[in-house]
Amino acid sequence: MAITLISSRLPSPVPEQAEAGKSVWQRNNCVSCHTLFGHGGYEADDLTHITAQETSEYLVNYLVQPPVMRPNKYTRHPALNEADAENLVNYLEFVHTIPTLGWPPQQEEVEEN
Amino acid sequence: MKLFKRFFFRGKIDKSSARKKQFIAQKISRRYCFSAVSLFALQSVVASLGALELVIPDLPSPIPFEYGRAIHLALAVLWPLIGTMGMVYFFTTAELNREIYSPRLARWQYWVVMFFSLGIFSTLALRIGNGREYLEGIPILYVGICISLILASYNLVRTLMTDKRNITPAAATMTVGVIFLMLLLLPNTITFSNPITDEATKFWVVHLWEEMAFELTSAGFIATYFIVSGLAPRTEVEKWLYLEAVLAVVGGLYGTGHHYYWIGFPAVWLVLGSLVSLVEVIPVGMLVRMTYKGLKSTKIRSNREKLTLWLLLSSVFHHITGASLLGLFLTVPWINLYTHGTYITSGHAHLALFGSLGFAVLAGCYYILSQGSEPTLKGYKGGVLAVILLNSGLIIMSSALLVAGFMETYFWRVLGMDFMQVRFILNPYLSIRALGGAIFTLGDLLLSWRIFKAWQATRSYR
Repeated sequence: MAITLISSRLPSPVPEQAEAGKSVWQRNNCVSCHTLFGHGGYEADDLTHITAQETSEYLVNYLVQPPVMRPNKYTRHPALNEADAENLVNYLEFVHTIPTLGWPPQQEEVEEN
Repeated sequence: MKLFKRFFFRGKIDKSSARKKQFIAQKISRRYCFSAVSLFALQSVVASLGALELVIPDLPSPIPFEYGRAIHLALAVLWPLIGTMGMVYFFTTAELNREIYSPRLARWQYWVVMFFSLGIFSTLALRIGNGREYLEGIPILYVGICISLILASYNLVRTLMTDKRNITPAAATMTVGVIFLMLLLLPNTITFSNPITDEATKFWVVHLWEEMAFELTSAGFIATYFIVSGLAPRTEVEKWLYLEAVLAVVGGLYGTGHHYYWIGFPAVWLVLGSLVSLVEVIPVGMLVRMTYKGLKSTKIRSNREKLTLWLLLSSVFHHITGASLLGLFLTVPWINLYTHGTYITSGHAHLALFGSLGFAVLAGCYYILSQGSEPTLKGYKGGVLAVILLNSGLIIMSSALLVAGFMETYFWRVLGMDFMQVRFILNPYLSIRALGGAIFTLGDLLLSWRIFKAWQATRSYR
């Protein structure tokens, strides 16, 4: 019980824009393909730390004008409007700040022979 | 007030004919089980289409993949729930040998749970949802599911209270299981703004329903079945049941920790989750020992009980291998660090959710719907074939997912290759998965057909 109570003291308060982004994430059912904290679909990349890899301009642009998803020839990634996309990226930036105890594992450099 | 009284009308119990006929609750439980089996038939079709969509590019589909998967997961949670409701009523009356408190309430509960379940599936088909994995429907609909569970809990508690001196452990275990189902779903009807709270609460359904609440209700069913079919003496079954109940609650509760590793919780869950998960394996081992002893000494003659036993043994088999041993391997934090969020989880989820819980619910539903009839030899063989198809389909698809998952772990997590590059390598295994899914679907439809036939044959019995 005590441990449950200690755990419930959450370290990270949610900024308002991120909260709006969370509802965008849920409304569009992103979790069916992507994962956050490794939970979700297995069809697309984990987005827990995506904002560390890509700039937010790139991500917003990706969501507003989505490209064709390989290996499909026509099917595109679902599109969002500008405001939703910005909120969503804000949410992902917030998720990036949550400490995940070293997950995902530090990746070794792929050695290109 | 009059309306209130009518609502809780106890139903007429004709003592003289009650023994010969059936309890009203047992008749009502038939519709729960029938609906559960129908939804299960739908489940495998939905799942197969989803599996195909992953391997065939640009496959046209009226429902986009993300909502198709949501329906698949909603079905996975709700069809066992509906089946369990029927099983609990049936086996509670069988154990106590008396009518439930209010059959009328049980009928109402059926309509409530069906209305809201179908509501969840249809809103998801219309692309309206809440986007939380396994609980994708909009929260208000889960309030409805909660209401049906509150009705069930109230009805069952009142049933036990009517004659306090005459409560059997199996009946009490099932009642506690249903109460837990309700308590654990309740917080999930609230919308949380913090993703950590969101994730943590979600696992009260995803993990605790399965590992604690359903474990208790299935244990009650297994205990009753073992006693009725003479596989084990009552004293031994009840000894197992007490231990199972205690371990399910303790192990289940803190075993949730193995889902809390990487979601922003303190590191204490790494230790707690992995150690407590060890406890969860013990009751399954004891069940196996009891079954083995029973099978060696008793010979079951009735084909109906044999077919139920095949389904139950499948459940026990997957409970040990796919759920417990594989699960235990995955809870080791150093392994989980790499395997987390890969197809391994998906393989494990199929084995644990359908393998152990699904088969147990199917066994109960078949047993209930065939009450009062014996399958023909052809029918029995068809049933056995269906069980074989279900098992081989499940094993093929889960193994394919596990192999895909281990490759994904190695290339993506260990070597750090790009996700999409790795995803291309996995394609052949996902095709094998779709093939396994097709075999599974075949078995599913065959079994549902057999159960439908049994339902038809015993219909006049109502």
